[in-house]
Amino acid sequence: MRKEDTVKLISAEGFEFVVDKKAAMVSQTIRNMLTSPGSFAETEHGEVTFPEITTTILEKICQYFYWSLQYARFSSFPFLLSLLVHYR
Amino acid sequence: MSAPKKRNFQIEAFKHRVVVDPKYAEKTWKILEHAIHEIYNHNASGLSFEELYRNAYNMVLHKYGEKLYAGLVMTMTSHLKEIAKSIEAAQGALFLEELNRKWTEHNKALQMIRDILMYMDRTFIPSAHKTPVHELGLNLWRDNIIHSSKIQTRLQDTLLELVQRERTGEVINRGLMRNIIKMLMDLCGSVYQENFEKPFLEVSADFYRRESQQFIECCDCGDYLKKAEKRLNEEIERVSQYMDVKSEGKITNVVEKELIESHMHRLVHMDNSGLVNMLVDDKYDDLGRMYSLFCRVPDGLPLIRDVMTSHIREIGKQLVTDPEKLKDPVDFVQRLLDEKDKHDKIISLAFNNDKTFQNALNSSFEYFINLNPRSPEFISLFVDDKLRKGLKGVSEEDVELVLDKVMMLFRYLQEKDVFEKYYKQHLAKRLLSGKTVSDDAERSLIVKLKTECGYQFTSKLEGMFTDMKTSQDTMQGFYAAMGADIADGPTLTVQVLTTGSWPTQSSSTCNLPPEILGVCEKFRTYYLGTHTGRRLSWQTNMGTADLKATFGKGQKHELNVSTYQMCILMLFNNADGLSYREIEQATEIPAADLKRCLQSLACVRGKNVLRKEPMSKDIAEDDAFFFNDNFQSKFYKVKIGTVVAQKESEPEKQETRQRVEEDRKPQIEAAIVRIMKARRVLDHNNIVAEVTKQLQSRFLPNPVVIKKRIESLIEREFLERDKVDRKLYRYLA
Repeated sequence: MRKEDTVKLISAEGFEFVVDKKAAMVSQTIRNMLTSPGSFAETEHGEVTFPEITTTILEKICQYFYWSLQYARFSSFPFLLSLLVHYR
Repeated sequence: MSAPKKRNFQIEAFKHRVVVDPKYAEKTWKILEHAIHEIYNHNASGLSFEELYRNAYNMVLHKYGEKLYAGLVMTMTSHLKEIAKSIEAAQGALFLEELNRKWTEHNKALQMIRDILMYMDRTFIPSAHKTPVHELGLNLWRDNIIHSSKIQTRLQDTLLELVQRERTGEVINRGLMRNIIKMLMDLCGSVYQENFEKPFLEVSADFYRRESQQFIECCDCGDYLKKAEKRLNEEIERVSQYMDVKSEGKITNVVEKELIESHMHRLVHMDNSGLVNMLVDDKYDDLGRMYSLFCRVPDGLPLIRDVMTSHIREIGKQLVTDPEKLKDPVDFVQRLLDEKDKHDKIISLAFNNDKTFQNALNSSFEYFINLNPRSPEFISLFVDDKLRKGLKGVSEEDVELVLDKVMMLFRYLQEKDVFEKYYKQHLAKRLLSGKTVSDDAERSLIVKLKTECGYQFTSKLEGMFTDMKTSQDTMQGFYAAMGADIADGPTLTVQVLTTGSWPTQSSSTCNLPPEILGVCEKFRTYYLGTHTGRRLSWQTNMGTADLKATFGKGQKHELNVSTYQMCILMLFNNADGLSYREIEQATEIPAADLKRCLQSLACVRGKNVLRKEPMSKDIAEDDAFFFNDNFQSKFYKVKIGTVVAQKESEPEKQETRQRVEEDRKPQIEAAIVRIMKARRVLDHNNIVAEVTKQLQSRFLPNPVVIKKRIESLIEREFLERDKVDRKLYRYLA
């Protein structure tokens, strides 16, 4: 995995999860964050901090990302779940 | 995960952190406001997206969405006002560039703001029925910048000025134009139409109105059309380069209207370069250009079509009524064909093979060909000429081409029965003198006529061919049967003609020389032996003879003469000199024919086998004729006075026309009876209409003649007049 392909998601306690960009992009919020035209701090360093998300929750979210990618073919099921992720 | 401890614990619902701080909303807003400022000042790199997103999220969650929204509107508006000032301050050419730059920056900032406020966009705004962030940004831009009094007019004027400069040939910054115009298109509420398109169309209309006036004063038609085409293409390109695609139709309409439609008539009728001149000079490019430009405006093509039609009718009429040109029928028809070819080519090359133009051409030709009552005769003469010598050595496809062209002219004729009569006459002469260039060509033309007019038309013509064939067989039979008897007499070839098929000729008197008579009688007995119940009469005015003659100095020649001439010459076997009266008595040939024959025997240089005294051109009753011992000719075979199809003289013409009229009467009567039998009762006008329709393919009946025929039929008790209504006719069975 190259550096350019990954982002670091940091939980409230400071745990750092390094995931594929593609995986992180499952979340619309993170996608907007990373593809925003302005040069926010996140895009500069490739790191996103979530001071209000606990580690366990963030871990589950990362797991969801990969699961979603894997089963993206099957129509509505992942769609409904990804809505949930938007509303955190 | 640690091992679960065994104790009672309740699982509480996950409660979000309750905010106690009352000034929370104000504090959060301040953070966001600061962020927006930074974004507009291109200072966003220090901010954390996540933090801002979280703050916005929290505000909305705690029901402060309204405050957030209002604050957003206020902040953006104040920023935009500042931007407006900086744009206004820009000088001259930099105005557009500054506008463009600020617009790009605004868009970028807007997107960043929307990303941060995504949560509000998705939840608060729909429920509160407010404009989404992106749209809000565009609207604020529009209200504060585009519709700001100072900028609006300046923007419009600058854009229009740039277009004007480009029209006069300058190169402008098209990329910049494209961006600005795209900006106008992106803003909602028909900003593009109001602020740019409408004034653009007005200004363009004025510009082209002036320019077209200028052009039309100084250019001729062809040049003007070239310029108009150039301008049209320019405008189309301009639209595709930096305007909305939907404007293309509108601007082309403007150009078409100003450049083409308002000057249409003047262009077409321009002296020395208008449509008529182009047609005459075969200017295919100019004509093609005119066609493609005019088909864009309503009534453009009908105008061209009408002018072309009247022009063709005019030249056709001149051609047809000019006495000079009518002297040579073959040439006349050739000219007609040439005109048709020329215009066909124009239509196919320049007018895109447009069917309506083809129809106009056809109707014009039909009109003027029928202006000359001798057209059928001339066309028949043309065919005759071709079939005699014109098609010698021509390939089969070319023969077909020529015949097809003739058929085309034939279709234009209204009086097809007149053509039939002449064609029969000419065909008879051709067949009897054996002068056809190609039998196949003859038959091919007959087939074409049959396809065009039906079996009736050509049945007699085919009968003529059959007679020729049968005669050949009969001659073979004759010589087989009688060969020994007549071996030392003159060789006889007889064509037996069925009276109905061949053109009626009045048979005239002629005394055949005794040598000939003998052989003829033998043939008559032979023929009547095989075909009982038939009557044969010799048509001496249509035959030919080959004579071997020895002259004074021993020169031998073979003379090809007509039957009459043969009778005359044979007299000189028994006498060296004869007077006119003696010849007339001996041969009993009618005077007019006799004079003609003697003329061709005695008065034509190089063919004067007889000497006339006195040596005048005309034959008088007292003239004497002598056998010309000094006759000389380069050729062994000398042709004298063969019967050639010629343009008829006046009396002959009258006669033919009368015969045609006579033939038409029974046809009209037959048509009337046919119609009345089907309809039983019909009024006068309808009968005339129906008869005309039925006979259309052969000729155009005269209503007066139809009326006469009806009356004749009433007399003969085929029809009766209705007792109550004088105009109604009833069929009597």
